[in-house]
Parts: sequence; structure tokens; C-alpha cells
Amino acid sequence: MHEFSISSEIVRSVLDAAGKNKGKKVLSIQLEIGELTHLNGEQVAFWVHELFKGSVAEGAEVKIKTTKARIHCKACGYRGGMESDQEDSFRHLMPLTCPRCNGIQIRAVKGRECILRRIQVAR
Amino acid sequence: MKIIKTKGPEIFDIELGKDLLAKNKKLAKENRKRFNRSDILAIDIMGSIGSGKTSLIKAIIKRLGMGKKVAVIAGDLTTTIDAERIEAEGALVIQVNTGKECHLDANLIRRAADSMNLDGVKVLFIENVGNLICPGEFPLGAHKRLVVTSVTEGPYTLLKHPYIFREADVIVLNKIDLAKPMRVSIPQLEKDAQKINSQIPFIKTNALSGIGISKIINALGLKT
Repeated sequence: MHEFSISSEIVRSVLDAAGKNKGKKVLSIQLEIGELTHLNGEQVAFWVHELFKGSVAEGAEVKIKTTKARIHCKACGYRGGMESDQEDSFRHLMPLTCPRCNGIQIRAVKGRECILRRIQVAR
Repeated sequence: MKIIKTKGPEIFDIELGKDLLAKNKKLAKENRKRFNRSDILAIDIMGSIGSGKTSLIKAIIKRLGMGKKVAVIAGDLTTTIDAERIEAEGALVIQVNTGKECHLDANLIRRAADSMNLDGVKVLFIENVGNLICPGEFPLGAHKRLVVTSVTEGPYTLLKHPYIFREADVIVLNKIDLAKPMRVSIPQLEKDAQKINSQIPFIKTNALSGIGISKIINALGLKT
């Protein structure tokens, strides 16, 4: 639902970086969206394309990679994926307990980010 | 010797590695530190449109009876209706109008806190924009996050929006007096809540009559 505001932020960052580097055309951008975010890649790509129109980035390819979640348990030291999570419909959610020790002192170390990794420009 | 150079465009990568959600998280941490320094307990109240967020805050404030030691940041798109309703309870209130944005963010909370005189304030309620999707992803720096849902939203709200309930510290089911006419099963909603987040309190309330309000006060660690 907030894909639009995030997309606006992405477009601002892309045009800013292109401008600073005297890029005449942005050819592609690479994004990494964590699977624990509530961002839908398809919608982000749509808005970024729309917002690029009329700028040096118009028509640029938007490549999106989904980042797998990784969790860390403070109690037992587990570091890894969250494969143990119950049902399909809950897969984008943080598990509540550690898959190894069932403790609750877990936190996400990866999967909650939306990173603008790099852009390719022509000068 | 004559050298002929090709004149194609020069293509290069610009490495950015910029996390667009990180800025909000950083500001949220700063807000939290600020609340801690001033010994303020901040509570983010989230829930859908018409779930009873304002009524619940009003009822809690009334029960606390702490006057201007309670402050409220009321988030809404354009109106001041909520702020005026809360002000009637004697708390310090500021309205934040997000305009088009579907959630409050940490920067808006920082600006609101800057513009308030929080001296002597012990509890700060932040009423988020009515929405069960976006606010979950934008921490504000509050110590606790409470999500209100009501039986008038029908039987599936919890299952449809597990994300925000998973992020919560307290789940409130409001308008329990209307369960029968709405043909909604409270035990079933409680089961759904258990499935999503079994480790936090699930409190049944009727904000207008005051049922369940003291349970919320206990769950949030507010002293009466």
C-alpha cells in the first residue's frame, strides 16, 4: 500500500545519483526487497516506471531481487532461515519462536529492507 | 599516427546500496531515546478505520485521570475530529495531518514531539492513521504497539492482516457488545489471534461503556 511513497523515494535517489554523475540516461536499476517487508515488487516496478517518465530514467529496466529472511536467536545462537514457519499464508511473517530452541528472543537480521543496490547509466 | 576512437556512450554502474526503509528505523530509534530520556512511555495505537482507536484512547485517558501528564499525537489524513474528541478528556493533544499518506512515520512523530511541550508528560499515545497494512512497517519509536480490531469489521480481519497483529504487543477486540447482531464469533477471533500471535494479551473491550479498559491499562504497564 505504501509502494507509491517508497517508489517516489527510489526515483528521487536514482535521479539524484544520475545527476551527480552526469548521467545522460539511466539504463537500469537494481532493487533488493526483503521478504519480510510488505512491499509488492510488481507494484514497486510499476510505480517506478511511471515516475521515471519524462526524466533521464524513462524506460530504464527495473530489476528486483527478493532477499530471503534470516533470523538470529539470542538464546541459543541460531542463525539461519525461517523454514519452520507454519502455513503458506504466513510465510511473509517473522516466526514467533526460534526453529531450534523454540525461544522467543529472535530477531530478523535480514529480510526487512528495501535496498537500491546500483544503477547503470550512460554518459 | 592517426587514432580513431569509438564514440559510443560510456556506460557505467553507480553503486548505491541505499536502504530506503532504514531511514525510518533510524529516526524511530532516535524517538525512542528521546522518550526514554524524558521518562515518557510511548504507545502506538493502530487499527482500521472505525475500529474505535479514538474512543479507546478517550476511555483509557478518562480511567487514568492523569490530566496533562498524558499527551496524544493524533494522526489523520486531513481532519481534526479525533484531536478535538480527545482534547475533551483534558489531555495534551496535537494533530498530525498526513495529507495523502496512509501511515504515520518516525519523522512526523519527531516533528510533532518537537512542537509539543512534553515537560511533565508521563504517557504519550500516538494514534496512527486508520489502516491495517502500512503502519505495521513503519515503527515510530513507541515502546508498545497496540492494535485494535472490532467485531463490526466482520469475521476475517485477523486472518487477513496477520502482519500488523504479529508486530503488536497487545491486541484489542472492540465493540464486543455488537458481536451478536454482527453474527461474529468472539471465540473464533480469539483463536485466530492465538494462531498469529499467542504470546501477547488479547483483550475484549467495549470502549464506550468502559469494559476491558483496566485490562488494557495493566497490559500496557500504565499505573493508575
